Amino acid sequence: MEKDILLKITGLHAGIEGKEILGGIDLEIRKGEIHAVMGPNGAGKSTLSAVLAGKPQYNVTAGSIEFLGRDLLAMSPEERAWAGIFLSFQYPIEIPGVSITAFMKAALNAKRKALGEEEMKSADFLKLMKEKMAFVKMRPEFSKREVNVGFSGGEKKRNEIFQMAMLDPVLSILDETDSGLDVDALKIVADGVNSLRSPEKSSIIITHYQKLLEYVVPDVVHVLKAGKIVRTGGREIIDIIETQGFDSF
Amino acid sequence: MAGHYLDIAPVSEGAEVAAGGKRLHKVLVIREDCKQDIRVIAEGGSSTDITLVIMPGCSADISLDLDFTGEGAGARIAGLYICAGDERVKVSTTLRHRMPGCTSDQLFTGIAGGESRIAFAGTIIVAPDAQKTEAYQQSRNLLLSRDAKVDTEPQLEIYADDVKCSHGATVGSLNPDEQFYMRSRGIPEKEARILQMISFIAPVLEGLDDPAPMAAEIEKALRSSF
Repeated sequence: MEKDILLKITGLHAGIEGKEILGGIDLEIRKGEIHAVMGPNGAGKSTLSAVLAGKPQYNVTAGSIEFLGRDLLAMSPEERAWAGIFLSFQYPIEIPGVSITAFMKAALNAKRKALGEEEMKSADFLKLMKEKMAFVKMRPEFSKREVNVGFSGGEKKRNEIFQMAMLDPVLSILDETDSGLDVDALKIVADGVNSLRSPEKSSIIITHYQKLLEYVVPDVVHVLKAGKIVRTGGREIIDIIETQGFDSF
Repeated sequence: MAGHYLDIAPVSEGAEVAAGGKRLHKVLVIREDCKQDIRVIAEGGSSTDITLVIMPGCSADISLDLDFTGEGAGARIAGLYICAGDERVKVSTTLRHRMPGCTSDQLFTGIAGGESRIAFAGTIIVAPDAQKTEAYQQSRNLLLSRDAKVDTEPQLEIYADDVKCSHGATVGSLNPDEQFYMRSRGIPEKEARILQMISFIAPVLEGLDDPAPMAAEIEKALRSSF
């Protein structure tokens, strides 16, 4: 049923600085599904997430992406965020001089404004911050810290999940959010994704390890290799990757 | 053997004096076109803290001259200038470390948009007797338009050997990765740029006793100028 489709990628060719990295991607995500995109380094996993979020440095040379029936490629990164797309960065960016509170307030209120809603009351905003920070086990003093400045690897990833929880996206894309995390941090990430699960919301989990997928069970698994999806299936693919690596595809 | 800057005695006429054990705190906010010379005599054991803010729309020629005439004095000098149109801003500082054990720390940040011109010249002179001097100078600039221009000229003349001195000058543009990160969270491009500019000039305001009102005035000016 067409109305169940959240994201539809058709014949997507994309790259950066004149170099093609994605050579024809077709991918369909229905509402409520969790998709895992797995693949070796250099397969184009991060390019796919960057193109979905609208990173200006990347060029789409062919194909289309529909998100809830809208032409995603015609939308700016901020319009995509307002429509409900969230990208958890593989390497979260430091923003010196901007506190997490100021950052989240700007983000949340911009979205509300775009949707024709009033700005959030300060008290409500702080309450939401507190609740979501506790959820990802970030200490309250982090709200005053500059965004990602001086954070450890694990703290940066938790901050991504915190932002995801604050913005409550329809489609969350996790770009190697699990890399470099210990088991405790991995569980926090998993809890974050699982808590957002609903019949209306979907996630794309991009990874080359199977560990996170033990905690967040995907409905569909894709293998991305050399810019193409070479296999799509169920959880059995994770086992094949675990035992035979990516060479078997 | 010292440079000509040190041959002349400190000019005391019209100078403000930072007296020993006291703090000279000056905040100079430029809201209209002007030319100003600031002279400071920093006596032994004094502390000087000067913050200069040049608002958008103002062409200004500011020179600041500071002489350390006693031992163990300190000075923090910070400035910011924001140009969005056809402003001409010139800021020159000359710090003379004549005596031992004094510390100076200078930070200037400039934002040049439109067809503006920013020129910063910072001279630090350390006299032969001024051992244990610490003198630091940073000039950081954001160039936001192709038609704007920034010149930054640090000049160090050091005649003592036991000193710590450094200077740095940068002219850059807004970081595109920061911009994309903010936009991916729903912060519109224009707002992301404003936040980046605010974060860029923020360190200059750290010397103020109460930075909030100044920060608010600058934020308002940034929003209406860019």
